[in-house]
Amino acid sequence: MADLRLEIAGLGIRLQGADTLRCAMALPGIAEFRVADGGDDLLFALDQPLSLPRCRLLHQFDIADGAVQTRFGVDADGTYYYAFGRHGLLRYDPRQPRRVDLSPMSDLSVLRFALWSAVAMAGLPLGAVPVHSSVVVCDGRAVMCLGESGTGKSTHTRLWLQHIPGTHLLNDDSPIVRFADGEVLVYGSPWSGKTHCYRPEQYPIAGLLRLEQRPANTIRRLGSVEAFAALQPSCPPSLAKDERCMDLLVQFISNVLQHVPAYRMGCLPDADAAHLSHDTLMP
Amino acid sequence: MRINPNIKIRDMVGEHIVVMPGAVQTDMTRVIALNDSALLLYNALSGRNFELEDAVRVLTDEYDVTPDVARRDAEALLADMRKNNLLV
Repeated sequence: MADLRLEIAGLGIRLQGADTLRCAMALPGIAEFRVADGGDDLLFALDQPLSLPRCRLLHQFDIADGAVQTRFGVDADGTYYYAFGRHGLLRYDPRQPRRVDLSPMSDLSVLRFALWSAVAMAGLPLGAVPVHSSVVVCDGRAVMCLGESGTGKSTHTRLWLQHIPGTHLLNDDSPIVRFADGEVLVYGSPWSGKTHCYRPEQYPIAGLLRLEQRPANTIRRLGSVEAFAALQPSCPPSLAKDERCMDLLVQFISNVLQHVPAYRMGCLPDADAAHLSHDTLMP
Repeated sequence: MRINPNIKIRDMVGEHIVVMPGAVQTDMTRVIALNDSALLLYNALSGRNFELEDAVRVLTDEYDVTPDVARRDAEALLADMRKNNLLV
């Protein structure tokens, strides 16, 4: 079967496989990132016969709306594994940093998460990290709304769409931020939560907005330690559970924060909130 | 007492931070920023057992302070470090 070539976050990704590759092609958002030919930055080898060795457990969490218990661990040689319940395995050996192996998978929501995890693991050394956020673009620059689930990220970006002329949504859940050649850009991705917003576009970032629901609209610029504490929890949680990944993640966040301002915003779900963040980040 | 051997100080935009990992099941992490005095104690006292007087000596060697002031500062710093799991 022919390869599937994608370009995500400026990285040329080649997917190889058989049945699982056909499943991957059917995932929402994948077609938008397909390219005829592209660079060979990363290889995702699907349908590999993997088995799980003895691992030190680093992180355990549920995916697929709580249906699949997922474990992230590292073996004695330093190779990382994700075990997606009984639905499949992912292997990443940091000594072969441009390759990710995945076992056969047929559950589409598991495969979708596994491909996201593959990008997160293999993208990290290349300065590309998925950031849990809702992102709008205005005048060619992006504003990234961060916050825990339920803090109103999507509500705030929707207020921009309604009240700030010339605004469009880039991604509603997991865009990818990349630091390369001294520049920080945010890229659309095939992962956008429940919103079908899969845009193969990239923009410089006007600012990060850490949102909190408050009875009044307030905004203030964060110093570097507060900005770190605002951005780090929005990066893939598994990466923070491993010292080697965390070293790379801290380096990535440092690079981002040297180029992008971060703000904490208390906000109401109203038009004034959108105008306040717009006028502060894009005066 | 000893400096917690499981923590790692990382440089982040000129700040010295410690990221305390949460439990395996949670997505929480805690970030602690060290000021210059705490960093001094960390660097001078890591990897060995020490007493309050050792910390006092580190401060009086570095800063122009009386032993009494240094002892008060060292007590406060070590209490803070203990509270944040930087000491064991």
